[in-house]
Amino acid sequence: MLRAEHLSKHYRQGEATITALADFTYDFPPGATAVVGPSGSGKTTLLNLLAGFDRPSAGSVELAAAKLETLDEDGRADVRLRHAGFVFQSWNLLPTLTALENVSFPLLLAGVGRSERNQRALALLEKMGLAARADHRPNQLSGGEQQRVAIARALALEPAVLFADEPTGNLDSAAGAQVLDLLLEHASGERRLVLVTHDLQIAARAQRVLHLRDGRLTKIEEL
Amino acid sequence: MELLVLVWRNLTARLTRSTFTWLGIAVATASMVLFLSFGEGLRHALAAEMGNMGPQIRVVAEGTDAFSPPLPELPPQMFDQIKQLAPELGIKKVIPAVVMFRGGFDPASSFLFYGLPPGADPRDFYPKAQVAAGRIDPHPNGAVVGSKKAELNHLTMGRELRLSREVKLPVVGVLKPAGSMLDSFIFVPLRTLQKVLGTKNYGVFLVQLDPDAKPEEVAQKLEAAIPGIDAQSTTEALKFAERAMRIGDLIRFGISLVALVVGGLLVANTVMMSVYERTREFGVMRAIGARRRFIFGLVLSEALFLALAGGISGVIAGYVGSALINLYTQHAVGLALSAVTPRLVFFSMGIALALGLIAGLIPARNASRIPVTEALGRI
Ligand SMILES: Nc1ncnc2c1ncn2[C@@H]1O[C@H](COP(=O)(O)OP(=O)(O)OP(=O)(O)O)[C@@H](O)[C@H]1O
Ligand SMILES: [Mg+2]
Repeated sequence: MLRAEHLSKHYRQGEATITALADFTYDFPPGATAVVGPSGSGKTTLLNLLAGFDRPSAGSVELAAAKLETLDEDGRADVRLRHAGFVFQSWNLLPTLTALENVSFPLLLAGVGRSERNQRALALLEKMGLAARADHRPNQLSGGEQQRVAIARALALEPAVLFADEPTGNLDSAAGAQVLDLLLEHASGERRLVLVTHDLQIAARAQRVLHLRDGRLTKIEEL
Repeated sequence: MELLVLVWRNLTARLTRSTFTWLGIAVATASMVLFLSFGEGLRHALAAEMGNMGPQIRVVAEGTDAFSPPLPELPPQMFDQIKQLAPELGIKKVIPAVVMFRGGFDPASSFLFYGLPPGADPRDFYPKAQVAAGRIDPHPNGAVVGSKKAELNHLTMGRELRLSREVKLPVVGVLKPAGSMLDSFIFVPLRTLQKVLGTKNYGVFLVQLDPDAKPEEVAQKLEAAIPGIDAQSTTEALKFAERAMRIGDLIRFGISLVALVVGGLLVANTVMMSVYERTREFGVMRAIGARRRFIFGLVLSEALFLALAGGISGVIAGYVGSALINLYTQHAVGLALSAVTPRLVFFSMGIALALGLIAGLIPARNASRIPVTEALGRI
């Protein structure tokens, strides 16, 4: 489950108050939901609040049966570990670790034993077509390969919700399409994908599109 | 890939910086081990020395400081005074002696002569003294030389030993190595040395007691009865030396503390820099679901790892340094003056680790407290 109610975020800047997100209420259904809007419209802000990276100024978020506002930093981290996966625009991977180690990192945090960790991580990399790259460091991988490793890592603990913020922003169209396919593939059954993008063509691949403008949800488009 | 692997990967990713930090701590720890090893070595040497000494009380002129040879300032009548007090105080034997020191810059050109009266020999100083060649008694007209002195100055049997322009003595005995100061002494007849110094006075009275006499009490009574003397029992001297040694330890520790603080700052700087550079990394870890404590532990482990590696290498380097010093002092005075004892190793490692802990705490705290959004936002 992923649900936001009356979610707002204000930033104080000296005298002025910037409203990055205002009164956002939405119950995300299973499947892929795209969030679009011009730069500065509050897309990243929304994602930060849904994932519990940040506390809202008002409102509440329910993620996988956990009410995020009732939890502290570590409590929210635990919920993320078990129920959420992340793919960012860039700089996703831990640079000193190999692809395999990056994918098994969440498993390490979850206390999975060493051999099972390696096995599961390798299986995920295989699914991403990256088995041959398992021992490469991020700087030895292309941008598209890095994003696919990041997806493998996001899927490691089979999360209920996958968050992606401009995951194809730094990729050419072929690599971007591949990454997008992998993300959408995961958004099946009861699972959810929240896909932030400013590219309407990409958004069109989702089941619905939320339009943000000046921090407000202006339109919900079912496709 | 456990925590230690993460630590290792990060330290090796910034190899030059980590290496310099490691070296810094190693040098700091080594210098501390070396400085303090002197205290430990001296302590051992001193304990061995005192344990070997024969006389229980040394009487010197008042004001003689403990670390220089006593001047001949005790008039002959004082000897008679002590003799008179002997039965009453439980004094078994009093040996009047004269000490002459010819100092040089190195052990080979330094000479410490002890003038002993007839009937006394080196065994009155060190009951375990034994001769390797010749005889143990310098009387009536010879010199008995400690093993180290004999070796350094090639004083073999029959060689002439020059005390002054007119006075020469043949070597009549060479002592066996005792592993103490005895090895550097030269024993000659009292009269000869008094003649060289142009005096009829004595420098020191070595007092041996009856078995049931209490050295401290006798020393006090002697001082009360005869004005102008210092009487010190061996145990008192040991206590005094131990006190002086402790002050020396403190001073040496203070000096090495400077190096240690620099080492600590190095670690703090390295870890702080690496925390700053990895803000984004920590953001990713937290986003994935790492708790604050995990980040805290990770950064602290890095500091501790550096401190541990530096500490171990430092102790090893200190040990090697101490062995080299001993190689020299063994050759020069026949004593190992530096010792790396287990407690010194534990102490140094403890200090190095404590340093790493202190140096790592603040960066670790900072790293674990960066808000996730801020960490992710910084590219
Ligand atoms: N930490 C902050 N302090 C002050 N203002 C902020 C902060 N973070 C975001 N904002 C403001 O909030 C608004 C929404 O920002 P947000 O990053 O959510 O936009 P976005 O839709 O993700 O834009 P983009 O498409 O460029 O990524 C912007 O006006 C931004 O300047
Ligand atoms: Mg954004």
